[in-house]
Amino acid sequence: MIKFTLNGRTVETDAPATARLLDLLRDEFELIGTKEGCGEGECGACSVFVNNLLQNSCLIPIGSIAGADIQTIEGIIETEQFKILDESYSIAGGVQCGYCIPGMIMASAALLSENPHPSEAEIREGISGNLCRCTGYNMIVEAINLAAKKGDGL
Amino acid sequence: MIEKITAYRFERLDETLSQLNREDCAIIAGGTDVMVLHKSRRGVPPKIPKPIVFINHLSELKQVYQHHKDLHIGACCTYSELLENPLIPFALKNAIKTIAAPAIRNRGTLGGNICNASPAGDMLPLLYVYNAKLLLRSVNGDRMVAISDFIQGPRQVQRFHNEMVTEIILPFVLGDSHVVFEKVGNRNADTIAKVSFAGFVRISKDRIDDIRFAFGAVGPTMVRSIDIEKKLIGKTIPLADADIAEIVAAFDKIIRPIDDQRSTAAYRKTVALHLLRYFLSMKQYQPN
Repeated sequence: MIKFTLNGRTVETDAPATARLLDLLRDEFELIGTKEGCGEGECGACSVFVNNLLQNSCLIPIGSIAGADIQTIEGIIETEQFKILDESYSIAGGVQCGYCIPGMIMASAALLSENPHPSEAEIREGISGNLCRCTGYNMIVEAINLAAKKGDGL
Repeated sequence: MIEKITAYRFERLDETLSQLNREDCAIIAGGTDVMVLHKSRRGVPPKIPKPIVFINHLSELKQVYQHHKDLHIGACCTYSELLENPLIPFALKNAIKTIAAPAIRNRGTLGGNICNASPAGDMLPLLYVYNAKLLLRSVNGDRMVAISDFIQGPRQVQRFHNEMVTEIILPFVLGDSHVVFEKVGNRNADTIAKVSFAGFVRISKDRIDDIRFAFGAVGPTMVRSIDIEKKLIGKTIPLADADIAEIVAAFDKIIRPIDDQRSTAAYRKTVALHLLRYFLSMKQYQPN
């Protein structure tokens, strides 16, 4: 039995230790905001926070997260930072098909928490592990820039 | 039907080593390579053919310290942890910034990158030019091995099943050195190298005291030649065109890349030699 914290709640699972955190989140806990893109750590669609650090849930065997604090996109939705990112992405037109967006928002939130006023280069670096096949990234970069200005330290 | 999977996660290193002594296990640090290597279809756990031992929570494997001026790096330090550690050389940090992306740097470990022994392993060219040594620990004690002896071929390392790489040791370098790392891939982030190159040079009074090169992704393991390096010792900077041509020609003979899904042998060789020529043609080398 593996026990950990998921979006603030203590949870347990008897899934095998090698199960991917991504599958556990989507299939067992029905948190389907976290997406599977490549399944190889190259696209960032499955990004979550593990002890407040951005990580790819497709690469995490759940046996390694016993006792850890996991947050998914569903877990940050009530935060002020999320609200500002949400608004900024829509103003900048940062969302088209939307599949990459939960991962993009997680990467954006991780970046802004660490570096509240990033340069454009730092924004691009912050989302460098996240692929978007619609926007060409410029609108996403603009959205994060906007959120940094509005959030001013959030 | 759920297959039975045996996995261990001990609180201490000594308990982990005892388990390795009892049983041949797959060691998982960050898991960023092993989870891809054994990937199944969606919803199905990766099929890892041995019992599993998780180690990336062990604090004994996350220490970074200096001992007799050598730098000791715990095998389970993630790339992000290395970027934040004041003891890690700037040249290494600059290289790490070009590897993967934030999410993988928060998970992938230096020891994992070495033990995965990929011909394209990102940190390997640098560790070769730093003459890195590895500390292997088992219930029977410690042994030290040079990284170039440890890595035998693609995914082949010289590790007995009861041993674990616990530290990576960068020997002390006397004086100022200039170190470069270049990686060529399809994308800046999260990419597997088509070619990689590390160069190391130490100059005193315009003469080369020490020079080292290692090429990645152009052979089964890193390509390094101490014989070729020796030809440059004592030469004056900037190097003469004839010297540069001689060194490039010597590597042209020993670099034998292959065609695969990421690149072609011809491209890899051309780029590897260009990177070498560029490094040798620098007018001056600033210590970093």
